[in-house]
This record gives sequence, structure tokens and C-alpha cells, in this order.
Amino acid sequence: MKKFMTVFEFELISYIKNKSYMVTTILIAVIIGALMFLPSIFDMSDMLGIEQTQQQEDTDIDKEEATDTEEESDTFGIVDKTGYLSDTAILEQAFGNAEFKTMDSEEDLKKAVTNEDISAGFYVTDDTSYKYYVLNREMWDENQTVFDTLLSTIHKQIYCQNKGINYQEFAEGYESPINCDAEVLGKDAADNYWYCYALVIIIFMVIIIYGVMIATAVTTEKSNRSIEVLVTSIDSKYLLFGKVFAGTVAVVVQLALIVGAALTGYAFNHDAWGNKLDMLLDIPADVLAAFAIFGIGGFLFYAFLYGVLGALVSKTEDINKSVGSLQMIIMIVYFAVMFQLQNPDGIIMKICSYLPVSSYSAMFVRISMGSVATWEIILSAVILFVSIIFVGWLGAKIYRMGTLRYGNPIKISNALKALKQEES
Amino acid sequence: MKLEVKNIKKSFGDKEILKDISFSVESGKALGLLGRNGAGKTTTIRILMDVFHANSGEILLDGAKFEPQKIQIGYLPEERGLYPKRVIIEQMVYLARLRGIDKKKAVANSKKWLDRLSVGQYEKKLLETLSKGNQQKVQLAATLVCDPDIVILDEPFSGLDPVNSQILKDVIKELIAEGKIVIFSSHQMSYVEEFCEDIVIINQGEIVLDGNLLEIQKECGKNQLVVSGENLSKEELSVLLNNQLADCIEVTGETKQDVIVKLLNGTSKNQLFKRLANIDTLTVEHFEIYKPSLNDIFVERVGE
Repeated sequence: MKKFMTVFEFELISYIKNKSYMVTTILIAVIIGALMFLPSIFDMSDMLGIEQTQQQEDTDIDKEEATDTEEESDTFGIVDKTGYLSDTAILEQAFGNAEFKTMDSEEDLKKAVTNEDISAGFYVTDDTSYKYYVLNREMWDENQTVFDTLLSTIHKQIYCQNKGINYQEFAEGYESPINCDAEVLGKDAADNYWYCYALVIIIFMVIIIYGVMIATAVTTEKSNRSIEVLVTSIDSKYLLFGKVFAGTVAVVVQLALIVGAALTGYAFNHDAWGNKLDMLLDIPADVLAAFAIFGIGGFLFYAFLYGVLGALVSKTEDINKSVGSLQMIIMIVYFAVMFQLQNPDGIIMKICSYLPVSSYSAMFVRISMGSVATWEIILSAVILFVSIIFVGWLGAKIYRMGTLRYGNPIKISNALKALKQEES
Repeated sequence: MKLEVKNIKKSFGDKEILKDISFSVESGKALGLLGRNGAGKTTTIRILMDVFHANSGEILLDGAKFEPQKIQIGYLPEERGLYPKRVIIEQMVYLARLRGIDKKKAVANSKKWLDRLSVGQYEKKLLETLSKGNQQKVQLAATLVCDPDIVILDEPFSGLDPVNSQILKDVIKELIAEGKIVIFSSHQMSYVEEFCEDIVIINQGEIVLDGNLLEIQKECGKNQLVVSGENLSKEELSVLLNNQLADCIEVTGETKQDVIVKLLNGTSKNQLFKRLANIDTLTVEHFEIYKPSLNDIFVERVGE
């Protein structure tokens, strides 16, 4: 234990003395902490859309109007075979700041669109069908939606007229707004979605970045041959465990400082932000606890694997080759969890929440957003931590075998075979 | 203390690396562990340090099973290894603590050895900022920082200039005088001859020669003498000896200044000296028992 602590201390100091680690941690924590105080120092209510005083509102309305006038208006073309839309004022009202030109034929309409004389064109054949012409369709083109609504209203009016029904009465009765007071007694996935999203990204990035750092630390000891002295001074398992736990503590400290700065800063300036960041920064304590437990577990699991893979190569430039497959697994887990974030109780998330390679994010998401029984959480945690012990034990053996083998990178399958031979 | 390595065998897969290696070394003596590259020296040392496990055989210290964890061993590997980007004193203290030395003593020992090897002024510098020779001295200081009872030095003189070599020689002599067990592996045979009473030569995993160096040299030089003539070159002397004394000697080689001859047909040294003295054209300048250098013995035993 004393020797483990010596390695742990030495490795941890190497993180603390690493300028990029210290600068990144302190700088990000300070910047995020400072950002949280911005609305208290500067008036950001306009940007945040927070309710203002009457005087401010009046000024804003004036500004808004001025902006609307300044905004460039769109020009549309229309060929109406029905006659219902002969009054373009209806169209201009529906489309807001737009001008409509009536055209004679479909060909004229197409030509005007092609020549960019008009932004888009509508060729209406009856009250339920039309053609939409546009030169280059934008990603968020809403013209069709607006026109659909307008034509649908006209269709309803004609229908009512034909049936002798008063449209106004019908519309008031038929399209009466529904009032609903929703009260979520359990978890509201919509509320938890964004911070879950952020935390899944954070743990993914941390594993990838620090995992490679641990692998590099191991390989560096091989490439500079300090391993020659180390393995003759101490059992190699202490070297691996010391590095992995030092890396874990470095990560926890870094995350605690950065996330802590954000949460504390926001807690002080909650009102000034008008609760706008609640979706990201108002994280319940139990969710943070689940994130910490499963996050640390997942990190340890992968950190051991990274350490072992680092021991299988002799040059730092070979690390990427060695850790490639592991990175792939982490990426697959990341995308699987991300794509299933809106379906936390689906079968994929359920399976992922028990596998040690993915439970660190899948179970955390299920706890935050889905419905999960306590026994499931305990079972998943037990599987994860037993897997960590197994990976640590196996990793220490491979590490010992790999550390003194120089030359070409050793494949993990060959390492396991060699280990089997050594055992027998 | 007496360290005994008995009948060690080691294979990696189907490849047999060590075939029945045995030797012993005592306190206050240095053993030269010699062999060509890949002969099995490093594997032997690693087994000694418990990094590898032998397939069979045993290692004893004073007759009991040798447990490297219970005794301080200082190991200077051939492949030098320290952290280039770490402060020198930090890594020395770290290595000492890994060997079970408490922090206070580790700091004191580190300073003591850095000063002893004339690199104390660099203790707070990064290792990579030092010259190769000074890095080598720091490496040696790191080897000795745990006050080892057994010191294993693999090519310790590599990269040192004559002044630094002298400092290192003095340190090794001190270690031997202090009663440490010193195992010395080097291809620079002159250093081995200078320090080691005993040698072991390993070739392809087997011991091909071992024992007391002086006795080995004596044995290898048995019935051989070196001769030189005041008025003759080595080539002229060789021709002369082959022509006139072919019945009692055979010219076997040359040293830098002498001709090496081997006594034949029971000829004694005195008889040969008389025969040489009777040759009118020769004035004997040098007549001595031939003592082959370790280099000659090594090349003879392990050369292809």
C-alpha cells in the first residue's frame, strides 16, 4: 500500500505540475464562474428575453417595428385557378412582410422563379391542391406550411358555405383551445434532457482525453526505459494502479472545479439569469451523485484498459494504433446513448445500462430521465465495479508482461496467449 | 554475504534463453558477467531481480532462498531509464521510496550521491537539460540512492569521458571496499579486469568460462611465453624462431610488442631461454610468461 501511495503521489504531482492541466482547469473554471456572474454585472435581460420595465418594453417595441420595416420583404408569385385567392391581401397578411404578384400561367411562374424575380411561386389548382416552385430550397423553408394553413382555412370556409354552416360558429366550437395543467409527479425527461446531454458528452470527452494520457504515460516509461528501473524496484501492478488512480483523481478534481464553478456561479445568479439555464445547471443532487459514481466507475474501467494498451507498444507514436479499437467501442457507446437519449427506457438503453463498457453513461441517463428500480442501479453498479477489479487484475498481468517487451506493438490477443503460456 | 545462482533455466516460448546457469559472488568482491549481445546476461539479471521467473533452478543468499524485496539492490540497466522531463531530485527520491526508503532519508541519500558524483548542482534541473555524461552520473546516483547491498552495473562506463570514468572507478572501488556484492557487466574488458576478481562468460545461454580471473588468465597462458628481440622486428623474430627453434616452440601470435610462443615436446622455460641466448643474431629484450588479456580470452571463447 505504501508503494502504491508513492506511485500515486508521483503520478498525481506530474498532473499537477503539468502546465496544460493546471491552466486548462483554472482558466475554464474561472471563465465559466465569471460567465455566471455576467447577468448580475451587465444588463443582459434583452439577450435572455427576461421581462422588463414598461419603459424598456416601449422602447423595445419601437425598435422592433423599426427593424421590421428595415427587414427586406419577400416577393412571391401566384397563379390561382380557383379564384379564391384573387385578393392578394389575404396572402400578404398570412405571410407577414411579403408581396404577392399574380401571374397568368404556370410557365410564367416557373420562369419568374428561375430568373429570381420572385422568391417562390404557388400554382393553385383547387382548394386542396397546389404546386410550390422554388429555385433553391432553404433548410428552414416555412412557405409551404404557411400556405397549407391558409388553403386549409379556405377549404373549411368553402365546405361550411356549401353545407350552410356558419364558419365562425363552427371554428369557435370545433377549434376550441384545450387547457391543460400538467403536473409531473416523477421525472420530466424534457427538463432533464439537456443536462443529461451535457454530462454524457463530458464523461465521453474525459475518458477519451485522459485515457490517452494514461496510455501515453505508460508508453513513455517504456520508450525512455525508466520502466527498466521501475519494474526492478516495485511490483508492476502498483505502477498501473498508481497511474490509473492518479489519473482518476486528476479528472475528478478538474471536473469538480469546472462543474462546481458553473453550478455555484449559477446558484448565486439564478434570478439574474431568469432561470434560463435551469435546463443545464439546475441538476438535482441525486443525478450528480449517479453521474459521479457511474462516471468514476466508467473512467476507472477504461483507464485500466488504456494503461494496458499503452504497455503493449514501445513508442508513443504507436499509441493511436494500439488504442484505436478501444476508442471505437467508446464512440459506439457514445452514439448509442446519444441516439437513445429520448428513449431512456428502451431496450437498447436497458442493455447498455448493464454492460460495463456502457453503463457509465446509459445507467446514468436512465436514472436521470427514465424509470429504473433501485435493484437495477445496484446490479449495474456491482457489474461495473466487479468488472473494474477484473480488468485491473488482468491489466496488471498484461502490463507486467508487456512492459519489458520492446519492438513492434504487441496485439492484445498475443498478449493474452503469452500470459496463458506463462501461467501454465 | 554470498549470492549463489544455481542451475537457472529460462525459456520464452520454445526458445531456450538460459541453459543451466550457475555462479556465485561474495561480499567485497566484484563479478564480471560477460557475454556477447543477446547471450542471456540481461535475462539472468532480470531473474535475479525477480522480474522474470526462472523455469528451474534457484538463487540463494547465504544458503537461504534469495528474496530481492527483502534486500536493497541497486540496478543500473544498460538501457538507461529515468524521466527526462522531471526534476532530478524528485525522481531520485521517488526511486528511493519505491525501494522502501523513507522520504527524509531518500532526500538525504539523493543529495549525498549527487554530490559524490559531482552533479549536485543540477538537482533541481530537468534531467533532459544535462549532458549525456552527467545524465549517466545521475543514473548511477539513482542506482545507489537506496544504499544497496547488491549492486548490478550494466555498462556503467558507457558515455563517460576519462575524468568522469575516474570518478566512477573510485565509486566502484569504494563499494567493493565497503563489502558490497558487485555484479559488473561490460564489453569494455579493461574495466572488468580492473575491478573483477571473478568472471562468468555466457554464450548463447550457457556458461563457457567462469572462475577467478587471474587463474583463468594463468591457465589460458599456460606453456606460452612472450619474447622480443632488441635488434629484430616481430616479423623477423617470428621467422628466426620458426627456422631455428621449430623443434621446441611454435609461434602462436603477437602482442603489441612481442611474439607469443608455445612450448612443445616438454621443453621447459629455462631450456628455451638457454636456446634463445645461444642464437648469435638475437639479443633477448623481453622474456616473460604470457598472460592473455580478458579481451583475448573472451574472443577466443565466444568468437564465431
